[in-house]
Amino acid sequence: MTTASLLEIDDLAVGYPGRSAAALDGVTLHVRAGEQVGVTGRTGAGKSTLALSAAGFLPRVVRAKLGGRVTIDGIDAATAAPAALLGIVGIVFATPANQLSASKLTVREELAFGLENLGVARADMDEQIDATLVRLGIAHLGEREPFALSGGEQQRVAIASIVAMGTRILVLDEPTAQLDPAGTIAVAELLAELSRGGSAVLCVEHDPNVLGRMDRCLVLDAARTVALDRPGTALAAAESAVELRAPTLVRLALAAGLDPAGAFDEPALAAALLARRAPTTAATASVDPDPPASPSWAPVRDRDPVHVAIEDLVHRYPTGIDAVRGISLTIEPGESVAILGENGSGKTTLVKHLNGLLRPAAGRVLLDGDPTDRRSVADLAGSVGFVFQNPDEQLFERSVEREVGFGPRNLGFPASTVAASVAGGLAAVGLTDQRATNPYDLDLSRRKLVALAGILAMDPAVLVLDEPTTGQDADGIAMVGAVVEAYRAAGRSVVAITHDMEFAARFGRIVIMRSGVVVADGPPREVFSPAHRELLASTGLTPPPAARIAALAGLEEVPLDVPDLLAALDRR
Amino acid sequence: MSATTGYFVAGSSWLHRRNPITKLLGLAFILLAAFLLPPIVLIVLAGAIVLAIWSAGLLRSAARAMRIPALLLLSILVVNAFFFPGATDKLASLGPLSITVEGLTFGLISAGRIVVAFLASIAFLFTTLADDMLEALNARGASYRISFVILSAVQMVPRMQERAGSILEAQQARGLSLEGSFGRRLRALIPLIGPVILGSLVDVRERTFALEARGFGARPGRTAYRVVADPPIDRWLRILTIGACVAVVVIALTGIVR
Repeated sequence: MTTASLLEIDDLAVGYPGRSAAALDGVTLHVRAGEQVGVTGRTGAGKSTLALSAAGFLPRVVRAKLGGRVTIDGIDAATAAPAALLGIVGIVFATPANQLSASKLTVREELAFGLENLGVARADMDEQIDATLVRLGIAHLGEREPFALSGGEQQRVAIASIVAMGTRILVLDEPTAQLDPAGTIAVAELLAELSRGGSAVLCVEHDPNVLGRMDRCLVLDAARTVALDRPGTALAAAESAVELRAPTLVRLALAAGLDPAGAFDEPALAAALLARRAPTTAATASVDPDPPASPSWAPVRDRDPVHVAIEDLVHRYPTGIDAVRGISLTIEPGESVAILGENGSGKTTLVKHLNGLLRPAAGRVLLDGDPTDRRSVADLAGSVGFVFQNPDEQLFERSVEREVGFGPRNLGFPASTVAASVAGGLAAVGLTDQRATNPYDLDLSRRKLVALAGILAMDPAVLVLDEPTTGQDADGIAMVGAVVEAYRAAGRSVVAITHDMEFAARFGRIVIMRSGVVVADGPPREVFSPAHRELLASTGLTPPPAARIAALAGLEEVPLDVPDLLAALDRR
Repeated sequence: MSATTGYFVAGSSWLHRRNPITKLLGLAFILLAAFLLPPIVLIVLAGAIVLAIWSAGLLRSAARAMRIPALLLLSILVVNAFFFPGATDKLASLGPLSITVEGLTFGLISAGRIVVAFLASIAFLFTTLADDMLEALNARGASYRISFVILSAVQMVPRMQERAGSILEAQQARGLSLEGSFGRRLRALIPLIGPVILGSLVDVRERTFALEARGFGARPGRTAYRVVADPPIDRWLRILTIGACVAVVVIALTGIVR
């Protein structure tokens, strides 16, 4: 006896007008009440299309040609009246601020917005709002102003706003892509709570911390279903079928000859690894130690390395609050530094001083011993390249090639150097074949890569990256990682702000910030060691998966990837 | 100014407690009186508005806001005082330039009208929540959809400002120089304005979807969570204000007072 499915997608095919390739082709997925299903796959695999279909947006809101059937709580989405699905299904997207109605003073009123549209009587609203806030564990946010909340809190309010409408089917499209680790876990726990209450959850995600908590996982590739099973099993199958790189825990289970289905149960995985007697050397050899080879970056000109020194830096907001409270750091040529910490810990504020976007209230920044305080941002741009988090705040040209050439032209590179830099930048991010495309015809993850290429082409001595991996699939993260390494190896330095611990573990040095000061600074093996566990926890961070498993297994060593961990287990 | 509350200054003064429609009518009356009645009325109006702002405890905020039109007011006064066309009655001379009585009078009247209009508008904005205005208009039969779109557009302003700041930073970091010749600065506008528009379109798509998911405008019979206060006295104030508006128009049209 199986519970009836709330959401039934049968043999779904979707084509968008003006595009020859199908966005989805023959996808079938049923989601039962109380079940959480994750959807993952490469950029462009059809994940967002699936989410929009499941929410009943196709073809009513977004024009598309549909084949097959989407049944939402018994209602055929293709023929449903516009208001028929309200209060039955809801969808939440990636950007927290865009999920809110933008006009409400309190979270309570934000939740009321959907009820107003449903025509719920005023007398019943407060009860419904209170029940939702309490059930989702966010009653403490009720009287807060939605725009003053953190991204993680805003996403939980956005979900609550949908749930308050009585919605039992919740669709999410990368809801944690822009959140810090603590915010991500809070959203994942909220989804689990909803499913315990009988809701059906369909969640498009890249983050293994969320995917691993789902009951099942659908992997899409090129519009088709590759695997649909328990998360570990599905991700393992996808790796062997379409070379979609599986999360570390899954690869670890596979390498050790364990059933990947249990990979996300970390204590059990650690225990199984310890109990295993067979030597792992053979298995270890089969594990690919580095991400798949990707195009990389090479300098097109010689430039002198630059030594960065930050001395007793203090930054004060106009409100009088100190965002950075006395930081001293030096960054040598050939060094890669990852800066970690919760949202609001001062990371972005700190790095914005490197190219003069912000000026210190006290202290100074020196490039090769020269203070930067009298140099303009445009002047410093030749030495310090800054890739912002949101590419949509800088892309404006009509082609990718022209966009990437903007920076080098501003710096006055000769035409031949511009051409070579642009080609090098595009090759490094794998977008050579998109050079004539309009940047806004690419999806967000590739628009981010265009922005990165645009700075690479300027060949700065210091490359600063703000959250370069958000929204990237495993291939994209590997590509950004390869760029960082190539850049560092060429004698330049790289500073990256990131929430991705596995990405951070590739850096030579990790700096952790909390409330405007540096609380840890050292190589990854030192910072992620069990000795730092409490410090990490106090900043909302956890070590990367290999280090977590090693700690659970009681190992002294701090391995950063799968081969490392297996080797450490063998040496035990 | 925040993304949600705009120019609103939290408080519970007598001005805050008025129904938004009452205040909107009051604003209309002041604007009509300032521009249609003889200039001497401006002194009475300005005095009354300042008194109202003071009694609502907003004098300090209003003084701060006055900095915005101060330069404009000064230039209106100076330009008219010195360059009023056809003026002959010289008051004082400054080299080849002279201040004329006609010019000074006209400048003072123009500036006075702007001061009154500006003060009345900020008194309204400081004490009225956009959301209350929306609900009050909706309760009087205005289209909720249209009011919401207008309100959202107004609230886009601080968001756009913030966005424009980020774009400026991003392009400067790509070596965009804002110095140099006029032509060079003009060309620098393209990389600054382009992302404001193109990037907003991306945002709008997601925001539209989010509103759709919340059932915005999907069904007739929308209810309201916010209860907008409408004390009995407001009803009388509105009748009084409408009467006063009609009187101003009649006086202006018939020319009873000159």
